[in-house]
Amino acid sequence: MNDFHGFAQSYKTYGSDEYTGGIACLAWLAGRLRKEKPTLFLAAGDMIQGNNWANLSQGKSVIEVMNEINFDAMIVGNHEFDFGQKVLRERIEEAKFPVLCANVELDSQTPWKPELLPLRPYVLKELNGIKIAIIGITTEEMPMVTHPKNVTGLKFLSQAETAEKYVKELRNKVDLIVVLSHIGFHRDMVLAEKVKGIDIIVGGHSHTKVEQPALVGKTVIVQAWEHAKVLGVLDIKVTDGKMTGVKGKLVDIKQTRLNKDDAVASIVDKYSKKVDALLQEVIGETGTDLDGKNVRRDETNFGNLVADIIRQTSGAQTAIINGGSIRTSIKKGAIKADDIYTALPFDNYIIAFTLTGKQIRETLENAISSIKEGGGRFPQVSGITFSYIYSEDNSPKIKDIFIAGMPLEPDKYYTVGTNDFLAAGGDGYRFFREAINTSEDYSVTGGAIKGKGIIYNNPGRWLRDIVIDYIRSRKKISPATEGRIVETNHPTVQ
Amino acid sequence: MKVFVNNKEVDIIAGMTVRHALIAADFLKDISSGKKVFDEWGNEIGLDGTVEEGLNIHVR
Repeated sequence: MNDFHGFAQSYKTYGSDEYTGGIACLAWLAGRLRKEKPTLFLAAGDMIQGNNWANLSQGKSVIEVMNEINFDAMIVGNHEFDFGQKVLRERIEEAKFPVLCANVELDSQTPWKPELLPLRPYVLKELNGIKIAIIGITTEEMPMVTHPKNVTGLKFLSQAETAEKYVKELRNKVDLIVVLSHIGFHRDMVLAEKVKGIDIIVGGHSHTKVEQPALVGKTVIVQAWEHAKVLGVLDIKVTDGKMTGVKGKLVDIKQTRLNKDDAVASIVDKYSKKVDALLQEVIGETGTDLDGKNVRRDETNFGNLVADIIRQTSGAQTAIINGGSIRTSIKKGAIKADDIYTALPFDNYIIAFTLTGKQIRETLENAISSIKEGGGRFPQVSGITFSYIYSEDNSPKIKDIFIAGMPLEPDKYYTVGTNDFLAAGGDGYRFFREAINTSEDYSVTGGAIKGKGIIYNNPGRWLRDIVIDYIRSRKKISPATEGRIVETNHPTVQ
Repeated sequence: MKVFVNNKEVDIIAGMTVRHALIAADFLKDISSGKKVFDEWGNEIGLDGTVEEGLNIHVR
C-alpha cells in the first residue's frame, strides 16, 4: 500500500460517480489474505497527510489505523514531513512498526541541528525460515517536495548509493532484499538498473497503478496506485533461499464487494466524528459579511483577506489570486472552520515567485479579460492597486497599476504570492507558469528557498488551513474593500 | 521542470504533480469528463502523483 494520504473513507474520484477505497475494507481483505500464508504488509510512504481525516489530527488517526492493521514497516514519504519534525517524531514513536529511511542524515552544513528522527535504515524479518531485509529509500529531492523548513538540518543522500551500500552489507545475510521506496515508479526502475541484488522494490510517490509487476533485470517492481483504492498483493515463491517466482495483482477496494474490519471501522468513525466536531468549532468572528459572491467581478473584502494572508505568509510584496478560488460568502458573526472549508474547498497551497512589472501588467490583463462572463480568473489582490477601463470595443483594459503606492515599473522585479493552481498556469495565468520556467536557480539552503524565481513553496499545507490559523490568531476580523481594483468608465455607468 | 502531456511540453516546478501538469497543458477538464492519465509505460497514474523531468504523460 502506498500514498494513502489519509483517505480512510470510501469516496468518489474526480470524473467518476463510483465510490472506491475505504481503509476498513482494505484491512478486512488484508487480514483474510494474511491468514492464508506468511505475509509482510508494507507501506510505501505518504500515509499521514492529505485528507482532512488525517490532517486534522496531524496524522495520528492514520498511525492508529496502521497499528491496528499490523503493518510490518513503512518508509517516510515527503508528506510525512508536512507537519514538521516534532510531529513526525511523535507519529514515529506512536507507530508499533518500524519507520524506515536509510538515505537521511544530519546536515553538517546547517547551524541548527535537530535530533535525528528515530528512523531505521532497514529492518530484518523472518517468515517460515526465509530471512528478509527491508531497506527504506525515500526521495532525495525532499526539500523541494515538502516545505524546506520541515527538513531543516537533514540531508537526503543519493538513493542509488545508499541502496547499494545496504545491499552490499545485507546480501549475504538474508535470502531476500526488499527496497521499500518512495521515489516514484520511473526512479524505481532506474534504481533496479543501477543497483544489482535487489529482489523486490515496493514503491510509492508517483501514485502508479502497476497492475502487473514490472521486471528490470532480476528486480521485481510493484506499486499500488493511491488512496487505498487497491490493495497490492505479491505472492513470492522462494526455493533454496532464492526468489524463483512471483505473481502480482491489484485488488480493487469497493465497499459493495468487501466486508469491513470492525476494529478499523471503529477507528475511522471515531476520527470522523472528531473531524466533524473540529469543523463545527468556532475559530473567530467577523465583524462584517465576507463577500464571496462578487469575487469574479469586483474587489471584495473576502478576496482581500485571502490575498493578504497569502502575501503575509509568503513574504512576497504582492499577492494575486483568482476570484474563482473563493466559492461562498460568510455571514457576519461567528466563523466555523467548516465555513472556511466550504468557501475555500480546493486543495490549494501557496507559492511565491518573481515577476517583472511588465509580466504583472500582462497577468492582470488576462485576469480581467473574462469579467463580462463572470470568469473565475478575475483577480483579488494584495499589495497592488490598479484601475481598468473599457476600450472602444467594450473590452476591459488595465490602466494604472501601483505597488506599495508607487507606479509599476515595467522592467523592475516584484515578488508575487499566489496559489498553486494559478502558478501552474490555470485560468490562463501563463505568465505565472513562464516565471516558473525561468527559475532554474531554484534551490534550498538551510531550510530556505534561494533563487530569483521561486521564493516560497509549501506543498504540504493547504491555504484554507492557513486562513483558519490566521482567523484563530486574530479572534476578530473585519476586512474591508479599499479601492484596490477600480473600474473607471464602464459604459453602463456613464 | 519540463514534462509532456500528450506530447505538449509544459513547465512546472519541483513538488508539483500530475494535476499541475494537466492544468498547465489545459487537460484537466478532460479528466472531469472521464478520461484517465497514463505514464509512458502505460500505467494509470493518480492526479496527485509526482512527476519528474522529461516525463511523458498521456490523457486518454
